[in-house]
Amino acid sequence: MSRALRECWLSFGQFAATFGGFQLFSLRLLPYVPKSLLRPGLISEQIYSLGALSLVLIMFGGLFVGLVLALQSYNTLVEFGSTDSLGAFASEALVRELGPVVAALLFAGRAGSAVASEVGLMRATDQIAALELMAVDPIQRIVVPRFIGGAVSVPLLAAIFSAMGVLGAYLVGVHLLGVDAGAFWSQIQDRVDAYEDVGVGLMKSFVFGVSASLMGVFEGFYAAPTAEGVSRAATRTVVITSVWILLLDFIITGMTLPEV
Amino acid sequence: MIKVYAASPENLVEIRDVHYQRGDRSVFRGLSLDIPRGSVTAIMGPSGTGKTTLLNLVTGQLNPDDGVVLFDGRVVCPCSRRRLYEVRRKMGVLFQSGALLSNLSVFENVAFPLREHTRLPEELVRQIVLMKLHSVGLRGAWQHMPAQLSGGMARRVALARALVMDPELIIYDEPFTGLDPISMGVIVRLIRHTNDALGITSIVVTHDVAETHELADLSYLLSDGKVVARGSPQELQRDQNDTVRQFMQGLADGPVPFHFPGPEYTEQLQAMAQA
Repeated sequence: MSRALRECWLSFGQFAATFGGFQLFSLRLLPYVPKSLLRPGLISEQIYSLGALSLVLIMFGGLFVGLVLALQSYNTLVEFGSTDSLGAFASEALVRELGPVVAALLFAGRAGSAVASEVGLMRATDQIAALELMAVDPIQRIVVPRFIGGAVSVPLLAAIFSAMGVLGAYLVGVHLLGVDAGAFWSQIQDRVDAYEDVGVGLMKSFVFGVSASLMGVFEGFYAAPTAEGVSRAATRTVVITSVWILLLDFIITGMTLPEV
Repeated sequence: MIKVYAASPENLVEIRDVHYQRGDRSVFRGLSLDIPRGSVTAIMGPSGTGKTTLLNLVTGQLNPDDGVVLFDGRVVCPCSRRRLYEVRRKMGVLFQSGALLSNLSVFENVAFPLREHTRLPEELVRQIVLMKLHSVGLRGAWQHMPAQLSGGMARRVALARALVMDPELIIYDEPFTGLDPISMGVIVRLIRHTNDALGITSIVVTHDVAETHELADLSYLLSDGKVVARGSPQELQRDQNDTVRQFMQGLADGPVPFHFPGPEYTEQLQAMAQA
């Protein structure tokens, strides 16, 4: 029993140390951000590798979520005789909730783990030490461009995810289930608010993007310089980011829904 | 008590009474050594004697617990990051693996320090990089990616990168490990030639006795956290100290034991059987 308690205490201690380290790392990173913006080439390179190369996954993800969402919600809406609301229903769900959350989860799986592995491998192969010894700050040169690239990419990916989702819902709703096309689009126009829905969705996805990118660079930067260390960094990035995104989503949703 | 250390102008690097402990293990206990300007100095010693730790102290990656490391008469650490980077710009370090940036081509790797620290026009960058690559014999490989290079080639590119800012000191960390005889010969020749042609100072951390003979002006042998021998490679070869003899002649047993410390064989077998 005492052994189990000690193990729990040690695990808690480890968690607290990692969480504290993450906070300190985040604070250490922030002052570099303005200076890094002066080198847009490095950031655009990362937006390409983290964002543009995730496009296919995000587009397919959005399309299929939209297709399924339309099928499921039509089944419910038909009972209330309000199938014309299908477009508004799907769009609100996508723009406010599913777009930011699912896009960020897919981003964490594809790009977050890639960043953690890449930076971790740079640590393991002495590339980060080499930068330090060339008097080049690795935080400035390696970490911050990836962080900014990720933070910028996720809102754009979430927007594309939502757009593809709406397209999917349109294809199923209008062409497969016979919902009126005019009603589909006009309901979206009426119900989806630029600030309350699109604005909140973008804000959420920006927060998720910052979290996913920070976690990727943090885990990679402090990865143990071994094959196992790099693999653990990639896994931890995906697991911790996913849980963190879902938790943040709950908090932000609670704070932004006017009826709550 | 404040200790005052006087730097000699003849030495580029001076290590004075350095103590360094890692966990419970004392790596250095009052280590002192000098690296004369313009020389190739070899730091030798069995594995685990702290050769790489010594490099980390010289480059300011680690702080000594006590004592000082002086570079060009000034204390390397502890100091601000800016001051540390100023010192490091006068140094080039060649890692055992080369540590080339894997997403950049050979040309871009060598150009990297120039692009980060200078605002030279592209034409001049091109000239300097090709000149450095030519000096290591790899001008023709300028478009290759690091993954396409052999171990020896990667180290030569890393040498070109270390030389590109015209440093005063180049540190080679195990430059001969894992190389075939031809690559090893090339690296030995390059280290010596570069040192003499550019008038720089070189520190070579190694345990390859034969190559050190050919290369070094001065050798230090470290063991048990201290310098056990200092002199030319020939002098070290004649040294009668047991540790020096064991290392220079490659004897399996001696002051550095063959067996890792442990209980008696039979005791261990019995203990394991009972467990």
